[in-house]
Amino acid sequence: MSGPLKGIRGIVLTQAWAGSYCTELFAMAGADIVQLEVRKRPDSWRGTYTAPMSESMNKISTARHVWNINSNFNAVNLGKRSFTLDLSRDEGVDIFKSLIKHADFVAENFSPRVMGNLGFSYEELCEIKPDIILASLSAYGHDGPWCNVPGIGGTVEPTSGMSALLGYGDGVPINSGVMYPDAVAGLYGFSGLLTALHYRNRTGKGQFVDLSMQEANLANIGEAALEYTYTKQVPNAIGNRHKIYAPHGIFPCADGVEGNKKWIAIAAENDTQWLALCEISGMSWASNSKFSNNVLRKENEDELNQEISLWTRGQDRDLLSDFLSSKGVIAAPVLNAKELLNDHVLRSRGVIVELDHPEVGKKAQIGAPFHFSQDKISVERPSPLQGEHSFEVFSELLGMDRDEYEKLVAENISGEGPPK
Amino acid sequence: MNQSVKALDDLVILDLSTSIAAAWCTRLFADFGAKVVVIEPPEGNSLRHLVSNDSEGSNLLTDHLLSNKKSLQLDIESTDGRVLFLDLIDKCDVIVESSVPSQLEKYGLGFNDLHDSFPDLVVLSVTPYGQANEYSFAPANSLAIAARSGWASINGFEEKGPLSTSSNQSAYCAGVLAYGATLAAIFSARQESGSGQYIDISEFEVMVSNFAPPALSSEYSGNITKQKSMHETNLLAGPVPVQDGHFALTLSRAHFFRDAMMVLGLEDLAENLDLHETWYRMAHKDLWMGRVQDAMSEWTREELFDELALRRVVAGPVLKMDELVENVHLQERGFWNLLRDDPLQVLRPGAPFKLSETPWVLAHKAPDIGQHNEELTHMILHSSNAIKSHDGGI
Repeated sequence: MSGPLKGIRGIVLTQAWAGSYCTELFAMAGADIVQLEVRKRPDSWRGTYTAPMSESMNKISTARHVWNINSNFNAVNLGKRSFTLDLSRDEGVDIFKSLIKHADFVAENFSPRVMGNLGFSYEELCEIKPDIILASLSAYGHDGPWCNVPGIGGTVEPTSGMSALLGYGDGVPINSGVMYPDAVAGLYGFSGLLTALHYRNRTGKGQFVDLSMQEANLANIGEAALEYTYTKQVPNAIGNRHKIYAPHGIFPCADGVEGNKKWIAIAAENDTQWLALCEISGMSWASNSKFSNNVLRKENEDELNQEISLWTRGQDRDLLSDFLSSKGVIAAPVLNAKELLNDHVLRSRGVIVELDHPEVGKKAQIGAPFHFSQDKISVERPSPLQGEHSFEVFSELLGMDRDEYEKLVAENISGEGPPK
Repeated sequence: MNQSVKALDDLVILDLSTSIAAAWCTRLFADFGAKVVVIEPPEGNSLRHLVSNDSEGSNLLTDHLLSNKKSLQLDIESTDGRVLFLDLIDKCDVIVESSVPSQLEKYGLGFNDLHDSFPDLVVLSVTPYGQANEYSFAPANSLAIAARSGWASINGFEEKGPLSTSSNQSAYCAGVLAYGATLAAIFSARQESGSGQYIDISEFEVMVSNFAPPALSSEYSGNITKQKSMHETNLLAGPVPVQDGHFALTLSRAHFFRDAMMVLGLEDLAENLDLHETWYRMAHKDLWMGRVQDAMSEWTREELFDELALRRVVAGPVLKMDELVENVHLQERGFWNLLRDDPLQVLRPGAPFKLSETPWVLAHKAPDIGQHNEELTHMILHSSNAIKSHDGGI
């Protein structure tokens, strides 16, 4: 792997989305991320061993193990190595402790009590490697009355205040299409770990990073929090509208092939953009006294949105978006997942990459979201098969030979797939 | 924990940011101890001129994004200003900016202009679409980014049309990733063979990165991940109505399902072993979903949370901002903060993550324009002559 974090190694127990995304960002930035997986309780994003294979995967001759072909897992573990150990066995614990000596940091996203139960609390890890950094991404952090309450994105979105801000303005709170708070927590986890690494590099001292998904997501809507504490007005969801500006919405365009609905986002944050929009539309909005300034446009936003919808309904989404953008108006097509994966700008910038997975084959995936001028990012390794790198990791870091490894497999301490 | 030990107090950041994303990035640097110097033109940073959004006319964004930072009034568009800016660069580690591509090059302050003279310098650009591509000059905001990144295509309900993300998500997500990426670049620069470099962060690409799971699901299955139908609104889509609001309950593992059914008085469902298999449960939602939601509708949020949390079932109430300020857990964690120098004593949101040895600290409200001209003259340049500090700025 290449990237600015080459030379950093994380031995991680991250799983599902938040933790896995956090450590994936490290892997994509060049760090060696060695991920422990426990076969008795596979990563929930690998799914279960007994789930039937989907119709689409059944058509792929190399797709053999349902736990290796889950798109969720394979979306957020790029660039990592995977090894397996049974941490309920002394031999497994001893090997894991030996590996910790080779780590700059450990990361996990269990409930707070789990690492202590495993014998790997921060204090215990420090006994193995005094300058270790441990990052824990949990739902509610490591202290406080809710610290042992389990949570995932689907419940943290409501408890962080995000769901109350997402909706069409009819008072019904909505969760994102997928568990968005996990992604937010992953970004903050990445940054929290790097903050601790910076301090360790200066001082030689490790520390504990306690990330509460609730707090990270609440911090990400800090504007709304401050709006309430300043004004005592509780902010609510306002759909696609903006508190201050109008127009600010998503409008229908001409249907695509096979009747696929297409939409465009349009906003004007100042009079220059508004007047440009009026001119491009050819409509008489600029002379309509109801729309003559932003305050009036906001007051008459329902009518304004209807007018714009009538105009956009017959327009080609992509042509209109490009033209509006070229004239300085905020506009963008609403892309679906398939269109996004074909976006030529994302492909040319290496954000969409084609990766060859041993079981799934070649697929388009979303790679690194950062660009460095010197330490070029190159995401080449797909997400690992479960335990794919066990021998490689044990051999490289612990000097284990093949016979010793085969003994571990025979004794069910390492290996792949459901434990025998 | 010693409040005075800071993780980043060896860093000086020159902050030219005029966007929420870049300003959030530098705010995080300031909160963890870096000296962040906002370089403001005579009329002040453009973040100060956003429309006020409270009844008192205060600009909450300014207050939020410029807190903990220092302000230096310096006009880098003037020749003298640029000379002084170059003096400052010599004392700094990172320049953060958010202007349209090549704006800094116009003044001879682009990364390539500076790298030879300042080989360890990291320059970060945070913009809506990144540098040197056909979207680069397109104006954008979080709505546009939510549309183009795929999020609007899966949020909300198909009957009501695409739905953006809440608030300025692309800006804050890009800000925090830019912060981490900058620390990564500093790590690299301090290696034996390392050097400073240029970092290009795009709000669009960060939100695309956040979209990786639904995108790959579509790629694998051939079926585009879409919005749900309002008629399928159920526990799997998010919170459902209860007595005093809405409540989310996830039943992703067998024991969550079993224990939740017992709490809700649905023992027959709890004892149906077929439903303990996740894939079976998802394939046969008609067996349980309606009954579960009907049972939940008889409870209040607090009752459900207390009972389910006790059994370690993944569940949570929809909380609004007034409830979050009163939330005992957040209070005991010390999430909400007051600033000593804030005459209004307004509660402010706190640390996005906690570090055991080097805490996040919110110490000062947003500075006035040029408030730190004199201090920065002495502290950074160590020369009282380098910057002439006066009422009108530099």
